[in-house]
Amino acid sequence: MARTIITRQKNDICVELKDVSIMFNLSKNKEDSLRDYFINLAKGKLHYSEFWALRNISFQVKRGDSLALIGRNGSGKSTLLKTIAGVIPPTRGTVKVNGSLAPLIEINGGFDRSLSARDNIFLAGAMHGHTRKYMERHFDEIVEFAEVGKFIDFPLKKFSSGMASRLGFAVATCVSPDILIADEVLSVGDTRFRAKCTKRIEEMISNGAAVLFVSHNAAQVKKICKTAIWLEKGKIIEEGPSAEVCDHYAEFMKSAPVKVDRKPVVVDTDDEDEE
Amino acid sequence: MKKGLYEFMDYLPFLKEIIKRDFKKKYYNSILGVAWTILSPLLMMAVMTLIFSTLFSRSIENYPVYWLSGNMLYGFLFSGSDGIMNCISANASLVKKKRIPKYIFCIATITQQTITMFFSTITFIVVSLLTGVRFGPFILLIPLPIIMTYVFTLGLGMFLCAYGTFFKDLHYLYSVIRRLFMYLTPIMYPITIIPENYRFLWELNPLCVYITIFRDLSLYNTLPSEKMLIVGTIYSLLMLGLGIVTFKEKEDRFFLYI
Repeated sequence: MARTIITRQKNDICVELKDVSIMFNLSKNKEDSLRDYFINLAKGKLHYSEFWALRNISFQVKRGDSLALIGRNGSGKSTLLKTIAGVIPPTRGTVKVNGSLAPLIEINGGFDRSLSARDNIFLAGAMHGHTRKYMERHFDEIVEFAEVGKFIDFPLKKFSSGMASRLGFAVATCVSPDILIADEVLSVGDTRFRAKCTKRIEEMISNGAAVLFVSHNAAQVKKICKTAIWLEKGKIIEEGPSAEVCDHYAEFMKSAPVKVDRKPVVVDTDDEDEE
Repeated sequence: MKKGLYEFMDYLPFLKEIIKRDFKKKYYNSILGVAWTILSPLLMMAVMTLIFSTLFSRSIENYPVYWLSGNMLYGFLFSGSDGIMNCISANASLVKKKRIPKYIFCIATITQQTITMFFSTITFIVVSLLTGVRFGPFILLIPLPIIMTYVFTLGLGMFLCAYGTFFKDLHYLYSVIRRLFMYLTPIMYPITIIPENYRFLWELNPLCVYITIFRDLSLYNTLPSEKMLIVGTIYSLLMLGLGIVTFKEKEDRFFLYI
């Protein structure tokens, strides 16, 4: 399997995908225990069916670009972001990431709920490759942005989900990454904080960061992103200016019949995007 | 190789934070905290001495430290490998977020166990001195069997982790194996109770080799036999090699199971 290539070159291209396809083996009988494995082996039922979550995806994101990924649940948006973050290796093709990357994929994920917010800030910072000293310099800024105030030494399990996600957003953006990956992050928090986050993302873009954005909110997408890619069943349907793509997608969704799809279309074990 | 080293240096701050976090979590909510690492083997030692010291009084001169020395290496090897086996699942939320070299979690786990081992070694030396053991110059060499056990444990842990991440119930099976080795290794009994012609079977047990070397250097103040040293080194290096190769091969598929 290929891996996401991470470089630190001084050029404008932040993310480059060439002909990326991702295939999962879906086993019909879920076996994550030895018992199930041997039972299925004995029955001769170790069948796997191939599932292509993404097919032949190619695009480039440059410095200062903002790209939105839109599409239905299970169309491969999160899988694509996870591939760029380096969590899911591409089955075929190459993924190049140039520069530091801050993923906001599962906004509450990556935090240890039994640790205090303070410890979590340092842990998350270290995961992004920052030293403790560097994080100490940015600490106040993060706490202020997240508005956690006096709760800074409380364990995270005592936080409301809104507070935790504010902290997640603050940690990921205060360290000024070259690439920000945001999956449904603006769907949390109250309107005031959402506006603050939007402003922060726009600032980052004007400072030359690249932003990859997933949202089901067309107004947000149009406001933040210049371009958009519409994904459907792992393939790119349309690519272009965000306003245009969003409108075509909205039309398609209106005309698409609402039916119950019983085939497994979502591969991510985690929460896909929800509206 | 060089690239890997640079990568490791990049993640050194992360490794430090993980170790700190694990340390905090381990002693969270316990009043005596770190003291338990020292107290619990001492209490266990008292119990074992009460039960077995008369039984083995002819072959084991100083039962408390005999048991203590065996038990600490046993604990290091099994707690360490068990911890590494679970380290990817335990850190799932971090592993799923961003590409991090996954072996970092293995190293964090073994480091924590090494800290415990450090305290156990000090306890062992203090108890030995208090019970009248006279150490010779060879005591300075005891880091050797500890390093051998470290290398073996890291390898074994990585090997188990490669499969334990896929098969969650391996953890339960391993606790049975752990118990089995408590009796298959001369920790609470002297190796002399095994008939001569079967003793080679015990020497196939790496843990037995490390414990023998450790006791030779500390309690018996002699150099271990060359055979033991060579066999011990081979076990360690082979296990580490096997562990790394298996881990590298499987790590790209971990994300499917956590």
